[in-house]
Amino acid sequence: MIGIECRALTKKFMKGETTITPLDSLDLVIEPGSFLALMGPSGSGKTTLLNLIAGIDRPTSGELLVDGLDIAHLSRSRLARWRAEKVGYIFQLYHLVPVLTAYENVELPLLIHPLSRKERHARVQRALELAGIADRHDHYPRQLSGGQEQRVAIARAIVADPPLLLADEPTGDLDRESSTAILKLLRKLSEDLGKTLLVVTHDIATTDYAQATLHLEKGRLVTEPGEEQRHA
Amino acid sequence: MRGLPFDYATRNLGRSPGRLAGALVGSTLVTLLVIASASFIRGMGASLDPPAGNSNVIFLGAGSEESVERSEIRMQAADVVGTISGLRTRLGQPFISPEVHIGLAVRTDPAVPEGRLTPLRGVRPSAFLVHSEVQITEGRAPVAGANELLVGGLVSGQLGVPDARLGLGEVLHIDGREWRIVGRMRAPRTVIDAEIWIPLTDLQVIAQRDNLSCVIATLVPGEADITDAEILAAQRLDLELAVMTESEYYATLSRFYAPVRAMVLATALLVALGGILGGLNTMVAAFASRVREVGTLQVIGYPRRAIILSFLQESWIISSCGALVAGALGWAVLDGVAVRFSMGAFGLIVDAPVLAIGVGAGLGLGLLGALPPTIHCLRLPVGQALKS
Ligand SMILES: Nc1ncnc2c1ncn2[C@@H]1O[C@H](COP(=O)(O)OP(=O)(O)O)[C@@H](O)[C@H]1O
Ligand SMILES: [Mg+2]
Repeated sequence: MIGIECRALTKKFMKGETTITPLDSLDLVIEPGSFLALMGPSGSGKTTLLNLIAGIDRPTSGELLVDGLDIAHLSRSRLARWRAEKVGYIFQLYHLVPVLTAYENVELPLLIHPLSRKERHARVQRALELAGIADRHDHYPRQLSGGQEQRVAIARAIVADPPLLLADEPTGDLDRESSTAILKLLRKLSEDLGKTLLVVTHDIATTDYAQATLHLEKGRLVTEPGEEQRHA
Repeated sequence: MRGLPFDYATRNLGRSPGRLAGALVGSTLVTLLVIASASFIRGMGASLDPPAGNSNVIFLGAGSEESVERSEIRMQAADVVGTISGLRTRLGQPFISPEVHIGLAVRTDPAVPEGRLTPLRGVRPSAFLVHSEVQITEGRAPVAGANELLVGGLVSGQLGVPDARLGLGEVLHIDGREWRIVGRMRAPRTVIDAEIWIPLTDLQVIAQRDNLSCVIATLVPGEADITDAEILAAQRLDLELAVMTESEYYATLSRFYAPVRAMVLATALLVALGGILGGLNTMVAAFASRVREVGTLQVIGYPRRAIILSFLQESWIISSCGALVAGALGWAVLDGVAVRFSMGAFGLIVDAPVLAIGVGAGLGLGLLGALPPTIHCLRLPVGQALKS
């Protein structure tokens, strides 16, 4: 299990003359194994925060410890390696590789690790089954519905067994029924496998599944998680 | 830690047949274009190079050193040249070839009003001694007074007819008369390959002249050299002879055609460059469109060099296939093809250096087509890459 600590975490972007500050001195502690929902209006810095935690982007200032490790100061290649081991990222638009089958997409993160073909197969199979999409293993992304694509993407995110899962509006492009199924799946991953989950969402239903909800506004948390009514 | 497997590159190609076919055809065409340009330049250059290792000297009319077609010297010059000691001989016959060079309209069809200007050379049998690079591949040398011709390997290309049209027994029309082809010759990579040879006296009759264009003689190295020839020319000022080695003559010819060659070179380079840019454009577009894939691979944890390597593999698979196909095609189809040039013609040459240039360009295209767009994709912040 993996915990996250942000202290005075700030991210600025320079756009010509103006400076945008999507994250403004953010303090946040995420306990290992928790399942948090992160809400906020569009442009409030949710994706920015997720990208910092995933080591895709670097903070401008402040401290960011993931699993006790100061990832902001790792080299790019160390960061890539770290990400391959620790982080599963789930996108709103799935981002499956179109020319690969569901199976091959899920296998992709495993090819980084020195595993035997047999071991790889067992892991891909397990991930596909956990995500409830094993029957579509030989389908290409274009042959799948949005909900099915997201299941494949989730299988890909968990196949290397990373302790931290980050999801950026994973149900944003799905209908209600598929959304519910995906949320149930995420909760199962949190409960059964002890993953730490941070899910960015616009969907109020997500808060029913998460243990707590964070609200981000203009780069700041407006209420500490837990203080707010979960069914607001 | 490991990179992306080779599979990743091959699968990416295999699963998008349209893109694969497009890229393959593109890289084949580009390589072929480069090979064609290079073989053109090479063929033209080679036809103006002197035949290797020859010790021939050419006597021309003084003042006409740059063009044997304009040169006129008296018949008597041939006998005077024979007085040089140190001429090569075989069975008592000296290697002296008096010749007339002239461009005349040659018709394959008498009904056509205009023939094609073709280099004719009037020769005696001794010409075959002096021009050892000439090989009669079929038939025999023409006999004087019988309206007979000996035809070079590139003449069909020069006249724009299939080579079979110039087979033994076929007829060509020159100066309103019929001439029968009794022999075929090859002298690859020389100007002779594009010539028609006629018995000397026959050509003098057609051209209504009683003089020569030049006399070519072969010296025995060590026994005579160009100085002996120059002394002779100086002694017989009445004949108004200029003399040079055959190598010098070709060098002069080369200089004469240098501006044309430069233009040809520039054109060929432009054509090749155009092809390369076109191919590059397509490839860059194809790789640049994979921004999201690059972003995704990075999020998954692949290091940048693994991604670059895989994309390069992909591109190199295509470009080396294309280069291979183009190389084989170029060699099979282009090599030896006649290109009309000035009054004569030269043959395209597809040899090892030309193939190397073509294949190198093809592979370079693979590198240039894939590397910059991939690096561009990698430069983009991952978050932005995924949004595009
Ligand atoms: N790479 C970037 N360059 C410049 N500005 C950016 C970049 N990424 C995000 N932003 C800006 O930061 C702000 C927050 O963006 P984001 O974190 O994507 O918001 P959210 O995910 O909450 O909708 C927005 O104003 C956005 O335009
Ligand atoms: Mg966002």
